[in-house]
Amino acid sequence: MKRIFIEPAKCDGCKNCTLACMESHREDGGRGLYTLDLTDPANQSRNRILSDGKGGYLPIFCRHCDDPDCAGTCMSGALVKNQTTGLVDYDAEKCAACYMCVMACRYGVPAVSPDRKRMIKCDFCQHLEEGPACVRACPKKAIEVREV
Amino acid sequence: MERFVIIGAGAAGISAAQVLRDFRPKDVVTVISTDEKVHSRCMLHKYLGHERDAQGINFVGADFFEKNDIVHISCETVKRIDTAAKTVFFGESYSAPYDKLLIATGSGFFIPPIPHFREAPNVFGFRDLSDALKIDEAFAKGRRVFIVGSGLVGLDAASALCERGAEITIAEMAPRVMPLQTDDYAASVYQKVFEDHGCKFLLGIGASDAVVDEAGNITEVILSNGEHIPCDFIIMAAGVRPRIQIALDSGIAAERAIQVDGHLRTSVPDVYAAGDCTGLSGVWPDAMAQGKAAARNMAGVDEAYPKPYPFKNTSNFFGVTMLSVGRLDLTEGADILVHKTPTEYKKAIVKDGRLTGYLSLGDISNHGLYLHLIRSGIDISGKLDKIFRLTFADFYGINEKNGEFAYSV
Amino acid sequence: MNSCTDCLSRNTCLSADKPMENYIRQLPRETAHHRVEGQSTKCGFGLQGVCCRLCANGPCRVTPTAPRGICGANADTIVARNFLRAVAAGSGCYIHIVENTARQLKNTGLHKDKIRSEKALNRLAEIFGVTGSDKYDLCVKVADKVLSDLYRPEYEPMELVEKLAYAPRVKRWKELGILPGGAKGEVFNNIVKTSTNLSSDPVEMMVSCLRLGISTGLYGLQLTNLLNDVVLGDPEIRPAPVGMNVIDPDYINILITGHQHSLFTYIQDRLLDEDVVAKAQAAGAKGFKLVGCTCVGQDLQLRGAHYTEIFDGHAGNNYISEAVLSCGAIDAVLSEFNCTLPGIEPICDELKIKQICLDVVAKKANAEYIPFQYETRQADGDRIIDEIIAAYKARRGTVPMNLFTDHGNKNTLTGVSEGSLKAFLGGSWKPLIDLIVAGKIKGLAGVVGCSSVAYGHDTLTAELTRELIAKDILVLTAGCSSGGLENIGLMTPEAAELAGPNLKAVCKELGIPPVLNFGPCLAIGRLEIVATEIAGELGVDLPQLPLVLSAAQWLEEQALADGAFALALGLPLHLGVPPFMTGSKVVTKVLTEDMVELTGGQVIIDPDGKSAANTLEAMIEKKRKALNI
Repeated sequence: MKRIFIEPAKCDGCKNCTLACMESHREDGGRGLYTLDLTDPANQSRNRILSDGKGGYLPIFCRHCDDPDCAGTCMSGALVKNQTTGLVDYDAEKCAACYMCVMACRYGVPAVSPDRKRMIKCDFCQHLEEGPACVRACPKKAIEVREV
Repeated sequence: MERFVIIGAGAAGISAAQVLRDFRPKDVVTVISTDEKVHSRCMLHKYLGHERDAQGINFVGADFFEKNDIVHISCETVKRIDTAAKTVFFGESYSAPYDKLLIATGSGFFIPPIPHFREAPNVFGFRDLSDALKIDEAFAKGRRVFIVGSGLVGLDAASALCERGAEITIAEMAPRVMPLQTDDYAASVYQKVFEDHGCKFLLGIGASDAVVDEAGNITEVILSNGEHIPCDFIIMAAGVRPRIQIALDSGIAAERAIQVDGHLRTSVPDVYAAGDCTGLSGVWPDAMAQGKAAARNMAGVDEAYPKPYPFKNTSNFFGVTMLSVGRLDLTEGADILVHKTPTEYKKAIVKDGRLTGYLSLGDISNHGLYLHLIRSGIDISGKLDKIFRLTFADFYGINEKNGEFAYSV
Repeated sequence: MNSCTDCLSRNTCLSADKPMENYIRQLPRETAHHRVEGQSTKCGFGLQGVCCRLCANGPCRVTPTAPRGICGANADTIVARNFLRAVAAGSGCYIHIVENTARQLKNTGLHKDKIRSEKALNRLAEIFGVTGSDKYDLCVKVADKVLSDLYRPEYEPMELVEKLAYAPRVKRWKELGILPGGAKGEVFNNIVKTSTNLSSDPVEMMVSCLRLGISTGLYGLQLTNLLNDVVLGDPEIRPAPVGMNVIDPDYINILITGHQHSLFTYIQDRLLDEDVVAKAQAAGAKGFKLVGCTCVGQDLQLRGAHYTEIFDGHAGNNYISEAVLSCGAIDAVLSEFNCTLPGIEPICDELKIKQICLDVVAKKANAEYIPFQYETRQADGDRIIDEIIAAYKARRGTVPMNLFTDHGNKNTLTGVSEGSLKAFLGGSWKPLIDLIVAGKIKGLAGVVGCSSVAYGHDTLTAELTRELIAKDILVLTAGCSSGGLENIGLMTPEAAELAGPNLKAVCKELGIPPVLNFGPCLAIGRLEIVATEIAGELGVDLPQLPLVLSAAQWLEEQALADGAFALALGLPLHLGVPPFMTGSKVVTKVLTEDMVELTGGQVIIDPDGKSAANTLEAMIEKKRKALNI
């Protein structure tokens, strides 16, 4: 399967990947970084760039784990480890917003949507032909997709 | 070629069926269930609230059995297992032979021995789709609902019926709602939000008797303090008991629950048990994990099933979300740290530098690491000043080769 | 770094000038065009203008979980602050230019130096209402009027505003309370205003941009032109060669970059003196030539009729300066303002091109600083000449030549100004007005300002221009946009073929191209004088004219200050990319909607030439309808 790799040593915390993720998942019908609503809490990035406490940054991106805690908890069938792509897919229609997945992921990746009706997690930008938006957005080339 | 038979189509049974099919593409896998349809009981309130239909609470696809070439015998209760002949008996005279059997009968709702409660036709549980159907029928005739127990099941049922305009009274023996997962403050928040939606709570009190009509229906619940509460029907949400009758009747060792070893094997060879019926845990994700582990063992993989950690819960009622993990009740010798603002309430129980309990009311995004910290007993004594803002960055580790994260302590 | 081999395989950006695009792609060194790709990942916060780096608590960015900076500034405040600071800086640039220009005029008067146009001098004296004992005294008086306004404190309104600006506009500005105080004081005050924890009123800040715009436009743009005319000569319409073909390797070639033509008054004449030419010949060249680049080159081109001997022609705009230097036949660079790209530093090192900086504001790291000071101009001038001759001798034959002799064309129409165009039409605007009223010319579009490369070198400018002329809209240009358009032939009479049927007929009859070259970006001010005079004749205010502006590939802060003037004049202003302001709903609304109520102006943002042309055409048609034509 393909997995997103990040090199923390190269990360400068510029958050271009965060913006690219927001742009990839915006639902207002618009396009382009100029009009991305940066103040709308519904427009959340799936990745987080956290401080390492020593002046550097640790990008926390969903691993689409081999043995995902989240899919192993899901009671609605919304989260499923796709046997073909290896990715952990999320179906918001099936999700009942119980948030057991949020509780289960030991890396604290999934987030709760502001309207408390959905869970928010990386979907590998499968809706984009070019693949994950974060990869292309990193000016330090710290993010890449590798086959594992 | 082996024949696998699974009794029960809940979290454990279905998970096991999928894993057996994955490991053994050509073998026969049969699931026998009392339920007509596969459904997630954790979502039953969505059905009762008329938000979703039966297919909408199916946690696997409608074509699950077809797609995986699994035989599903529905609406049948297994009466007897002949462990010597390795055959299960159900229905009038049907039987199914097995090479390996999995008992995943789950648990059923418990009615305490209050006069009339066990006989009254208008006392329902809230475990299965059949319960929800019965409640639906009853609700068509009367809207005054009496719910015994304000745990998750009771509140699930209440939230569903609130949306449909019911008059709800909830009785709870403990002095606060959702007593196992909350503390006094968190409980008060949930209590208020339910009250705002029309529910009435009777805390620290229980039902002790009832008034019935000619048909035996309870028309009034009599509380332990003598008060009479009129009602049209009652939902019992006062606990569950593992369904062990089939084991008892078949010579498989069981006391409160079906006894299993570290590989989920029962006392009888080639018979396994998983899920609520084993009594190891009562939560959905553990049932799934047990189903998968049992299935792998049944398929020949020698894999021990680690003891589950059942003290974990999330709730989401009327947009108020809460996460409760670990033992909030075990506070002796522990430090209790509290963080309270108008929009957040968090409590951490720390003993000997380790997190033993965590409660968070409000935005529970990115909270998953707290459960892991409790289960793994990682020393966090150096991080107590930011206990409420911990992230995986504080424990960051990564496998350079395959990119999986790993805790670095 | 300059000859890095991995640059060679890297892509260069597209250019509207295809021959130039190829030339640059083949260069064995890096230029701005090569660097576009590496910088193509833009910071989204920066693009929206919501990154604030004013204080040590920052940099702060606006995000859904942190919509305010640490000080409490929201997106509107952050954007408005950044924007006003940019406009103030841009205004400062232009005011610096007019200040130096006025000082040069004053020195001309004080030292009884050469006056090339008494007509221009008298025109200014009349506008200002000053008289003098003689023409030299008049120079001093006129210059002093300008300087005293520039040096006024910002709480004293500038005197010349009402004399220069169109009366209906002044009336509106008074109503809005945006008559500017002293120009330098205004810049100063608005830098202060936009500092940490000072103003957080986005609307007040946007109104201040308008005030800065007026000061920039009337002084920095209009007056600089009119002052320059006195000392440097009036523009005259004439065909001229443009592009890299103008460079003649037999001469010692000096590339000039900047905006301050007045700083070259001495040297451009000195280079033709017999003794200097003899020095050049002794070194093996035929003489000296000035090669134009950036706005100062356009200024020299504008007045080229007076400089036929010393000026070879305008090679191109700012973003081909690196290419021009690469041809090998440029021996020195004299810089005094922008755009003097830092990118030329390693090129000049490699090709042994002597860099001399005449104004410290445009100092290159490896340039020699010989500031233009009137009092010492002769000694300095001789020193400059000797340095350049030494460079010529040292470099020719030791560095490769890479001439681009067939680039550009020989017959671009140049020298268009409000004066020369009016004279061309017979001394009145009536013929032009009649053509507009009759619909033979649908309207006027100023496609002005800079050249940029991040989204293609002049690509939007060229596409927009082609679309506009195809719609019978006469295009007037000024600035590096001019430099780009002329090199691709849009200002030759043959370009009339690309115009719509009506405009084509007009062009052929008059023998003009459908795109008129007013010269440097300073000449945007001249364009605005044209608009004012035509409006005066029609008896309408500027917003009512069938006139639109586009700074399609605006580049820097000066462009924003120019743009503020356009808005103050009540004109629609098209920009290709937003000026780092979309992060603020308030600022965006003020610029793109509310401005119509305020001044009549409006910002339109559109990166697509076709759709922008359609929008601009619709606006022209709407204005025509309102005028009943």
